[in-house]
Amino acid sequence: MKVSVSGIGWVTSKSFGAASMLSRFELTAGTLPKLRRRDVFEQPYQRFGRLDTFSKLGLAGLAFALRDAAAEESAGKRDIGIVAATHLGCLGTDLNYYDTVIPQDGLLASPNLFAYTLPNCFLGEAAIRFGLTGPGYVINEAGAVSLTALQMAMEMVCWDQCPGALAGFCNPPLPEEADLDAPEIPGAVFLFLQPPGAESAYAELALSAGGSFCVGQQQISNWDQLVTTCLEKRSAPTDVGSTQNRL
Amino acid sequence: MTSVWITDAEIATSCGQGVDALWTHLISGAPGIDEVTRFGTECYITSYAACVPDLTPTPQGSLLYPLLEQVLPESLKVPDDAALITATTKAGIDSLQSWSRGRAGGMEDTLASTVLQWLQAELHLHGPATNINAACASSTIALARAANMIAHDAVDCVLVCCADLVSEFVFSGFSALQALSPEPCRPFDQDRHGLTLGEGAASLLLMSQARAEREGRSCLGQIVGWGAANDANHITAPARDGCGLVQAVERSLRVADAEPGDVSGISAHGTATVYNDLMELVAFRRVFGERRVPIHSVKGAIGHTLAAAGAIETALSLRMLDRREMPPTLGFEKPEEGAAGRVSKQAQSLESGLLLSTNSGFGGINGALLLAAGGRQ
Repeated sequence: MKVSVSGIGWVTSKSFGAASMLSRFELTAGTLPKLRRRDVFEQPYQRFGRLDTFSKLGLAGLAFALRDAAAEESAGKRDIGIVAATHLGCLGTDLNYYDTVIPQDGLLASPNLFAYTLPNCFLGEAAIRFGLTGPGYVINEAGAVSLTALQMAMEMVCWDQCPGALAGFCNPPLPEEADLDAPEIPGAVFLFLQPPGAESAYAELALSAGGSFCVGQQQISNWDQLVTTCLEKRSAPTDVGSTQNRL
Repeated sequence: MTSVWITDAEIATSCGQGVDALWTHLISGAPGIDEVTRFGTECYITSYAACVPDLTPTPQGSLLYPLLEQVLPESLKVPDDAALITATTKAGIDSLQSWSRGRAGGMEDTLASTVLQWLQAELHLHGPATNINAACASSTIALARAANMIAHDAVDCVLVCCADLVSEFVFSGFSALQALSPEPCRPFDQDRHGLTLGEGAASLLLMSQARAEREGRSCLGQIVGWGAANDANHITAPARDGCGLVQAVERSLRVADAEPGDVSGISAHGTATVYNDLMELVAFRRVFGERRVPIHSVKGAIGHTLAAAGAIETALSLRMLDRREMPPTLGFEKPEEGAAGRVSKQAQSLESGLLLSTNSGFGGINGALLLAAGGRQ
């Protein structure tokens, strides 16, 4: 099965934005930027300020991927799906929410925070913002985040579930109070996938029956490699809009 | 596409273990809803929920594990190469509660990855394993995903395992959202005032027809269509025109190569919130017109079991197809407009045909499954 990679967006410790506006991709450990509305959307968007950290991170990644494909704006709703992998999900929001429950035996429980204790809610935010009506869900894996979300999104497109899909991961930083190991580098990366032959695509991505991903002759085994390879496949991007200075 | 059989279905609800126990409660009009004793409810809208009886914590801490054990009997005989798809929204959230209150417990149980690892170890599974979180449509979409994988010959056996608990975490949240009913819930009733939370688990084993026949497994029913779609309207409220649910149902009909007239009954989400039930009635009317397709909600008996709802309702739907009968909708008395002649407090007979099972959730997601009786080829 094959799809075109039409857009790439990310938020990492090194940079954030649409791939075509950035000089290079690096997924390395470090502190993620505290995203403000104007970092992601030019126009006022009141809902953004109400979102929890996890949702802001995921929504930004999705927005940048769509923007990169010149697909951010649309006259109406669109049948585009989303599959997002995460390890911790909204654990930080869970802790913050339960901190509002403990005092006074739940009398002060925050309905606004509770709404974001479901990790798929940022997909709903993206659906509202960009008019995306396709299937959408968040996945967790037994181990580290792999390319499973990518496979699921490719299958959405190739098995006629929807004509386009966003695939990626959203890994927020480990909450300070959490007594867990953090197996993932924090960040969000999303790709916009369309049927093969899409105009101005970065590359064609193939998935073999045996489960191997390839871009051209290059075998792909992780998100970092996938993004880097897609960027190499497209002619050198203009080095404008780097967000290095903004971080 | 390859035919997708459901060969085994185990459930655990407040009405007991197994579909038989739930069926008996439904037919006798005995809901499994009672006052919560697990945590204090003085500051919440209600004290009612549907808890699975006699759950006791294991050394792992969370009640999730003894709940899951109830749907994993040895008789299930899950092949070790089965793919595993789980559906849980908050996994072992009770452990996080304990940790936050300074008691024993930890955060690991809150992560779905921990549940996946536990199930892999318990069942000696070495196939792919993924948890799907799509709020209250999680297990519907998990089953859709499993069916899709088998239909396209990506795998030939999938265990779908779903569970969510009644926890103070979730109870307080729905109370804060004013979504809980002060009394046991009344799906599709004029006087409904919100949902009743429930807990439950389900494990459904799906196989390609060829593998099931090769292994001598029986066919409880088939998944012949599936679909999911987003309202793109609101995070916690359904779209009043039912647009996402309509799209999901129409997609499931396309996959099944079926017409609305082929559907003989609907297992609805039927949470008993004012807006959900209205939305569903609007959506079903858009798809099925004025034809009075029988509609059922199980939530008046076992509450809203969140991520487990779709799988439990699928297991119950298979029984409906087998018996050609739809059990009473408990809590239903005075029909909401559009529910008269469709929802009933009495058992309804079902004509032969497909059964539609739907669920919707926060984030605007909707899922639909089309089920056929075991004998359909």
